Amino acid sequence: MNDRVIPWQPTVIAGPKQALLATPETAKLMLKKAKRPLFVVGPYAKNEPLMSHVKEIAEIWDLPIVTTADTFKSFHDNGIESDSYGIVEIANLLKDPEWEGIKGEGQNDLVLFVGCIYYIASQGLSTLKHFAPHLKTLTICKYFHSNADASFPNMKDEEWEKYLTKMKTK
Amino acid sequence: MNIKINNIIKTNNEVGDNLTPNSIKPKDFKVDFWKSKNIEFSFGEIIEDNSPDSRDEETFMGPTPKPSGTDLRSWDMKLLERYPPFYAPFCDMCCLCTFGKCDLTGKKGACGIDIKAQQGRFALLTCCIGAAAHSAHSRHLLEYLIHKCGSDHPVDFGNNIDIEAPIMRTLIGKAPKTLGDIRESMDYIEEENLHLLSTCHTGQEGNHLDFESKAFHAGLMDHIGMEIGDVSQIAALDLPKGEANTPLVELGIGAIDHDKPVILCIGHNIAPGVGIVDYLEDNDFEDEIELCGICCTSIDITRYSDRAKVVGPISKQLKFLKSGVADVVVVDEQCIRSDVLEEAQKKGAALIATTDKMCLGLDDRTNDPVDAIVADIISKKDDGALILDPEKVGEVATKLSLSLSKSRKSLKSLPDMDKIQEDAFKCTECEWCVRVCPNSIPIMDAVSSAGKGDFESTEKLYDHDICYTCGRCEQECPENIKIMDLMAKIGENNLKKEKFNIRVGRGPIQDVEVRRVGAPLVLGDIPGIVAFVGCSNYPDGADDVAKMAEEFLERNYIVVTSGCGAMSIGEYKNEEGKTLYERFSGDFDARGLINVGSCVSNSHIPGVAIKVANIFAKKPLEGNFEVIADYIFNRIGACGVAWGAYSQKAAAIASGVNRWGIPVILGPHGSKYRRLYLGRSDKEETWNLTDMRTGKLIKGEPAPEHLLYAAESREEATVNIAKNCIRPTDNNKGRQIKLNHYIDLHKKYFGTIPEDVYRYIRNEKDIPITYKNDVKEILERNDWEPRELVMEPTILDFPRDE
Repeated sequence: MNDRVIPWQPTVIAGPKQALLATPETAKLMLKKAKRPLFVVGPYAKNEPLMSHVKEIAEIWDLPIVTTADTFKSFHDNGIESDSYGIVEIANLLKDPEWEGIKGEGQNDLVLFVGCIYYIASQGLSTLKHFAPHLKTLTICKYFHSNADASFPNMKDEEWEKYLTKMKTK
Repeated sequence: MNIKINNIIKTNNEVGDNLTPNSIKPKDFKVDFWKSKNIEFSFGEIIEDNSPDSRDEETFMGPTPKPSGTDLRSWDMKLLERYPPFYAPFCDMCCLCTFGKCDLTGKKGACGIDIKAQQGRFALLTCCIGAAAHSAHSRHLLEYLIHKCGSDHPVDFGNNIDIEAPIMRTLIGKAPKTLGDIRESMDYIEEENLHLLSTCHTGQEGNHLDFESKAFHAGLMDHIGMEIGDVSQIAALDLPKGEANTPLVELGIGAIDHDKPVILCIGHNIAPGVGIVDYLEDNDFEDEIELCGICCTSIDITRYSDRAKVVGPISKQLKFLKSGVADVVVVDEQCIRSDVLEEAQKKGAALIATTDKMCLGLDDRTNDPVDAIVADIISKKDDGALILDPEKVGEVATKLSLSLSKSRKSLKSLPDMDKIQEDAFKCTECEWCVRVCPNSIPIMDAVSSAGKGDFESTEKLYDHDICYTCGRCEQECPENIKIMDLMAKIGENNLKKEKFNIRVGRGPIQDVEVRRVGAPLVLGDIPGIVAFVGCSNYPDGADDVAKMAEEFLERNYIVVTSGCGAMSIGEYKNEEGKTLYERFSGDFDARGLINVGSCVSNSHIPGVAIKVANIFAKKPLEGNFEVIADYIFNRIGACGVAWGAYSQKAAAIASGVNRWGIPVILGPHGSKYRRLYLGRSDKEETWNLTDMRTGKLIKGEPAPEHLLYAAESREEATVNIAKNCIRPTDNNKGRQIKLNHYIDLHKKYFGTIPEDVYRYIRNEKDIPITYKNDVKEILERNDWEPRELVMEPTILDFPRDE
């Protein structure tokens, strides 16, 4: 089996439904198609270079950012606007089709994830896989997330940098 | 003369057609039952009770003594309406019967079950396993102690504690006066546990909320089981009975004297440990032999003898076994590595299994002479023995340790550093060790560096159990590098630093302490009780638990702890080299750090909340669960934290705690329990309360916001702990204090004043003075309006017709 699409932690494999392998091109297609995308960003983005990548990707695609764990502080200190939620809180809200959204704009139809702790992200993605048919999930970490609808593959840092850089153009 | 009547009613009416298990209350029988003829009553054993206590005044009995699974269902549904289950399926499939495997992604299984019900079913199953583990442990212990001390041995904790068993009092409806009395509670939970487990069978329950209600019930049965265990051992073995300043005992791998014969106990059941302590004392071996333990059994042994030492929490298990220091390994039950015999064999240590829960394929030598057992192990005829008699375990373990410590001196150390480095040098940096690591810690870098003679990265992972030595990396390594040996060996570089202390588990909280803190707790002057419990499956080392405890101690909260959490707290020192146990008193009061004891001692944590309801608020306990839980839920700012919870027992404990109305915050691994209970602060109507004084429905607040929550980082958890201590009955001053801490911590870890603070301001008197202007801006931004303070809040149905 292609090592790039085995879940980064192999034992999170949950069943027959697996994420599609996403490239920057397919990821961008998903973003173009989405009407109300949301960017959920975890604590690995507290550090550079991921923080800057997130900032620039969010700007290009006009993505509202939700920061999980205590990521909000680093973003706030660096002048990046975000709303803070626990990862389980935001997953809980995203599964409710009636949720009014972080700014009252209504439920999202695409959620982009990056920088969350792998196993808790995997659990949250499982929630959305089962209970949020109204939205798609896309992960752009350097780890393959089998519970997402689409995920970047397992990669080394160098290749991941290139993938993230490609996300900064429309 | 009082006459106790055991057993109940047998009728020709087949108990109506009532199928409720354990239904023995008159209300459970249908009207036609009472018109029946030829009713037969059969009585069990009739016991004449001539004790002085038999003249007790009549006790008020509430509506639910010995509740069945459905008796408290309406309470559960109230909680579940506020905090609907949040499911994160660990597995998409069900593989519990031969119809399957069934894929449940958007589909039902062959039996008709859907993914929600399946998750509820697993939550119940998990809690059943946890409750069974504690309850079976307690049954074993109870019968052992009755055998040792007699069934008439009194359950008496002295003048400072009248309510020895608050959970049993509330749920069984009576206080046990003797060890023999406790059997009634044991019988009750065994029956309930059986009914609950049966529900997990294919083709039983089909609704996820009902599965959750049953999971709550399993949690509650677990609490009775834990209380039985601890009350029995405190009473029979004269363990500390709530004294605040119990002694400090030594803790840490570095505290164990390698030069002496070493007996290591692992597990949870004190019985074999008692056998060892008694034998050592009776034969004057206390100075000659080192007795130590890992996990809760070590905490309990130190409650019995403060000469014993604590190696540490469960995360130390493989490290210490690999070190070869132990000459004899005595295992009892729960949380012991399944390969403990193999690990003991590798180091030439003898292994003694002591309970029916873990026999490990060893011959049952219970009835053999001690010298024959010892001779067979020394001569390597046997690797160990199963000995189900605790006294015999004491003698065998002692004799083996005296003999083996001489013959296995060369095995009491790890391979030379040169060999370790040579092994590590084989690392090809394939990264699979990192991928299979539960925490994805940089183990590859550590191994690779060690291969080049740089051990610093490994030392960092060893310290504070950032690596908790589960050994998955070693299993995966294609080069067969002995990564755990490497970890244990390099860890020895800093062994001198691994010397700490822990305050001996005190057991219950005294009634006088409850009287002292009752009002400040309910009004909010003491901002809350934070309980750090659970195992050591930490996302980033044990330090996090101690740092959280320190944060809340310095902020005047009462901090309670137990089990592995209590040990992790003891492993942390400040710059002056003092542990938190040396810096903070053991009083149940603001800034008190209370180690209640082992896993079964967790029962004292809901126990003290129950005592507040009874001693401070005069709520009757017997058969009165809903009223007590409603009181705790709305008035006592308590929050449990299970930062490293991994076991089914931890799941059962949390479910029980939740049913009492106390929120729990888990570490990120807790998300793998598949189920949380999350509130929705944006849905204002879910937070309404009734004021019992007026019957009026009053707009409430998300307090507590969640019932079971998993945080991703320590910082997130810390802020949520402070928020989840807010309760509707806080007075203005108390609310100010609590909000002050919430805002302070949010500023510290998130850099801002929390935007949701407006939800917790009832009128301007609630606003913390320090943050007045900032909070007022938030109020304005959110169109805030003052609201009424609730005097006696309840979520129970208000009896309007009356």
